[in-house]
Amino acid sequence: MIHLVTDSTSDIALADAEALGVHVVPLIVRFGEEQYRDGVDIDADQFYTKLEQTTVHPTTSQPSPDVFATLYRTLLADPADQVVGLHISAKLSGTLQSATLAAQDFDQSRIHLVDTESVSGGLQLLVRAALDDIKAGDSAEVVAEKATLRRSKVTILVLLDNLIYLHRGGRIGRAQAFVGGLLNVKPLIAVRDGEVVPVARPRSRSKGIELIVEQVRSCAPLRGLAEFHAAAAESMTDLETRIGAAVSNVTAVLGRIGPVVGAYSGPGGLGVACLGAD
Amino acid sequence: MRRLTVSATKPAPELAVLREPLREIAGEQILAGLTAALSWLEANQQEINDLNVFPVPDGDTGSNMYLTLRSAVEEARDAPAPSAADSVLAAAAHGSLMGARGNSGVILSQILRGFAQGAAQCTNLDARGVALAITEASAVAYRAVMKPTEGTILTVVRDAAAAAAAAAETTDDIRVVLERVVTEAHAAVERTTDQLQVLRDANVVDAGGFGLAVILEGFARAIGDTHPATPAPALLRRSGEPALRLPPNPGDLEATGSAVPRRGAAAVAPREQGWGYCTEFLLNGPGLDVDAIRTELAALGESALVVGDPELVRVHIHTGDPAGLIAAASSRGRMSKLKVEDMSAQHHDVLERADAREAHAEAEGTAPPEQPHAPPKAIGIASVAPGEGFREIMGSLGADSIVSGGQTMNPSIEDLLNGVRAVNAEHVILLPNNGNVILTAEQVDPLAEDCEVRVVPTRNLPQGISALLAFDPASSLDENAARMLAAIATVHAVEVTHAVRDTSVNGHDIKTGDVLAVVDDEIAEVGNDYLGVIDAVLNAQSAKPELVTVYRGDEVNAGDADTLVATLREKHPGTEFELQLGGQEHYPYVLSLE
Repeated sequence: MIHLVTDSTSDIALADAEALGVHVVPLIVRFGEEQYRDGVDIDADQFYTKLEQTTVHPTTSQPSPDVFATLYRTLLADPADQVVGLHISAKLSGTLQSATLAAQDFDQSRIHLVDTESVSGGLQLLVRAALDDIKAGDSAEVVAEKATLRRSKVTILVLLDNLIYLHRGGRIGRAQAFVGGLLNVKPLIAVRDGEVVPVARPRSRSKGIELIVEQVRSCAPLRGLAEFHAAAAESMTDLETRIGAAVSNVTAVLGRIGPVVGAYSGPGGLGVACLGAD
Repeated sequence: MRRLTVSATKPAPELAVLREPLREIAGEQILAGLTAALSWLEANQQEINDLNVFPVPDGDTGSNMYLTLRSAVEEARDAPAPSAADSVLAAAAHGSLMGARGNSGVILSQILRGFAQGAAQCTNLDARGVALAITEASAVAYRAVMKPTEGTILTVVRDAAAAAAAAAETTDDIRVVLERVVTEAHAAVERTTDQLQVLRDANVVDAGGFGLAVILEGFARAIGDTHPATPAPALLRRSGEPALRLPPNPGDLEATGSAVPRRGAAAVAPREQGWGYCTEFLLNGPGLDVDAIRTELAALGESALVVGDPELVRVHIHTGDPAGLIAAASSRGRMSKLKVEDMSAQHHDVLERADAREAHAEAEGTAPPEQPHAPPKAIGIASVAPGEGFREIMGSLGADSIVSGGQTMNPSIEDLLNGVRAVNAEHVILLPNNGNVILTAEQVDPLAEDCEVRVVPTRNLPQGISALLAFDPASSLDENAARMLAAIATVHAVEVTHAVRDTSVNGHDIKTGDVLAVVDDEIAEVGNDYLGVIDAVLNAQSAKPELVTVYRGDEVNAGDADTLVATLREKHPGTEFELQLGGQEHYPYVLSLE
């Protein structure tokens, strides 16, 4: 049997993960001394509420190799089983590093780790596509290979309220170019080749959504579509409606930006991920 | 309605008959002619300014033409071969090009360029030569304008050229040719009123055309007359009241009354690393390799201007090491007219003369620091901005270099060229941010030797901000230009000011001091207070704007602006308002509607 492992930055809902049989390793989010396992000890609602109430800036950290080792030991108990691990971009997190360290204690041919160069909805779409491949009977090696090829077909766009969280969190990448502007803008960023890149500086949320819809349309034909928000339910409804009107033949995965990713997007973030057809 | 009439005093024809015919003119006479033209233009500068149709404070045609011609005369005085007509004219053409500001200034520089081209290889000009040169001047000027409009300076130069050509068929006396030219130029100026609707409505003649007629007249008088043209009696009589040009606020007379655009140094913000020495000299040949000299000397400083021919090269360069530069240059040829000036001291002088608030802002170093020795980046932006606030905002949004200027102080081509060089990039996007700066900006590319310059024709500050926001350093020049063009199409600009004269435009009866809202270059609302006209503009929008950014000018205090914006928020729920300090002069409020 092939076990699919991902991490909590895929923002996959716990119920979905269970239903799909995906193993989710939580990253850690910290408010000063307090620390929580992403999605286990704290959910999105609790996180954004906390974010509003505290002056402490949240930080995050990768799961320890132990966590991966423990999971791998369980999953590989049956000598016929294998693991495919799809994880957040190594340029954004050390999660894959921990997984790789843990995997060293196992037979290398039984654990196939992939740097998806992606995050959140994008990572989740790759996970879902890999599940299809497993279902179709591909070997673990082929599932990992396909996921690696597929990552170039992922587009992730996030409309932010501001760049404060991304900047403080040290994940700003080339969107640094957008920092320091004296006018209020809603920065639109993308994750490209595993890194944050600047896309546009619309002056209003509505213009930003318009830009997202344009980009989504240009990605068609789509294999998968995901729409995510960080405490921005109203904008999310607007986004859903406008994307729904622009693209058809694909059912969108809807969800929340979870605590760890939310620590970088900040509240108000609105994201879309598309996966182009193979 | 008053009608401004222009009547040139025609020199008595018999005088010309009595004198010996003037069959040739050389460099000295041309310089004298140009100098007289400059004096005559200066004497009529205000009158030309007052012909501006639009009743808003903007770049004045008379001032722009005067500053352009002054730059021409200054360079003509240093012509390498003072006796040669072609040498003097080529120098004047180059000087006018570098000093050109405003649309009228750019066209004037093209007229001088054409005149110089028509006189190329001629040490002396005869009557036919003069006619040929004016004809070429007309042709070059027409080519410089993408959509030539009749009833402007172009019509005047063309009609003058036709008169010159006809006259040269019948006489070899240059005086007679020039007399006909001047007579026809003034007649053409008179006709402009009926050729352009805006002129007809305001019942005035075209300011640029009139300016050219004045220049031709001054030139002709110096050539034809032994008496200097300068302190002439009132040559031009106007019926009706003297033109009024009141400033928006009493007590603000100096700022507005004679809004002479700032030149050169005052128009460029200082740099953190200091200015070094402005070093100027001539290198005398023969056998100078201009390109090699340019390459060698440009490496020793910045803003290098190395122009000339194998006989004479003119060098203007900013360097931290004038001694090294002089040593390098003197090995190339004999040096003369050496001038070395400490630019930080010089700049301070200029700034002290400049508006105090602005000087303060500039000394704070609001312009992005320049790194002359860093390798050039692939693509950068130079942007024109008035006022400390706009400079800061544009810098914060990624403009690499800011050229001071705008409505009332149109930057010269040289100012823009220096701004483009300060970007230090292989490709530079130049944002003029003013309708009267676009044509000037378009002249910069051929002059910028080390980089490709693309003008994105932003007509106002809100468009400039939108263009900056659309910039993507990772995209190509073409892609960025396209992005910016798309972005500026989505923003409407509202410029709020006071009428500087009584007039009637677009069916609005306007009295001096009225509050005007200019929406996308058209006068849209006239009223008594800022709130009223802005509110009216917002109500008139067919689609309610999502976001209105209000930039307050330097004469509006923060409290008043807060109150205005708070009232607008109440009146226009559903629209977001953002207040920023623009710091622009003469325009209490500039708004962008998106």
